[in-house]
Amino acid sequence: MPRALWPLLHHRPVVQVILALAQGGQPLVRNLLADTGAGTAQGAFELLLEETDCLLCGGLPLPGVVLGGAYTGTYPIYLVRVRVPILGVDHDLPAVGVPAGPAGFDGIACFRFLNRFSYGNFADPGQFGLET
Amino acid sequence: MSTSNAVQEINRELARRLVEEARSNPQSAYAGKLVGIANGQVVAVADNWDELARRVRQAEPDPRKTFLIEVDRDYDKVEHIWGLR
Repeated sequence: MPRALWPLLHHRPVVQVILALAQGGQPLVRNLLADTGAGTAQGAFELLLEETDCLLCGGLPLPGVVLGGAYTGTYPIYLVRVRVPILGVDHDLPAVGVPAGPAGFDGIACFRFLNRFSYGNFADPGQFGLET
Repeated sequence: MSTSNAVQEINRELARRLVEEARSNPQSAYAGKLVGIANGQVVAVADNWDELARRVRQAEPDPRKTFLIEVDRDYDKVEHIWGLR
């Protein structure tokens, strides 16, 4: 089964995704904090991204969502094409757009996204990974 | 108001009506579906985001003139991000 592993970033688990730009050109590579405490398995979004990235990628707008906790208030959701090539992931996923991701990261891979996979350190404490 | 803002308003109003219709009539064609709207019209109904996005982008390449909705979703429900910023 395919497995993607990434070294911890700022001592935290990270998932690297690729976002295609709407106007073509080099795709965006984004490091997302892997956070099981972000959203729920049935939540309205799978990722939290900077809104500018959602717009650069031609994200399709959905209704906004009300967030509580580290982010409070109503934020827009966009459907964004997301790739993790090693896992064969190439899907349109709902991402909530915020002004800035958590410090040191470009956004968050929320629980609904992580829960698509087996996830963890796979016996290597210096890495975090996803397996299909 | 710019053209795309005006179209967005029309799209959102249509989405609101579709949600109301589905809530009052569980037999509605939109109940339980993902719906894509472009330029004030329903252009796609699907069961998954990939299919919906493909059909909406085909119908209207400018994302600012589109709007998607998961009809059964309660978007007013608060969702928590427990991590620190």
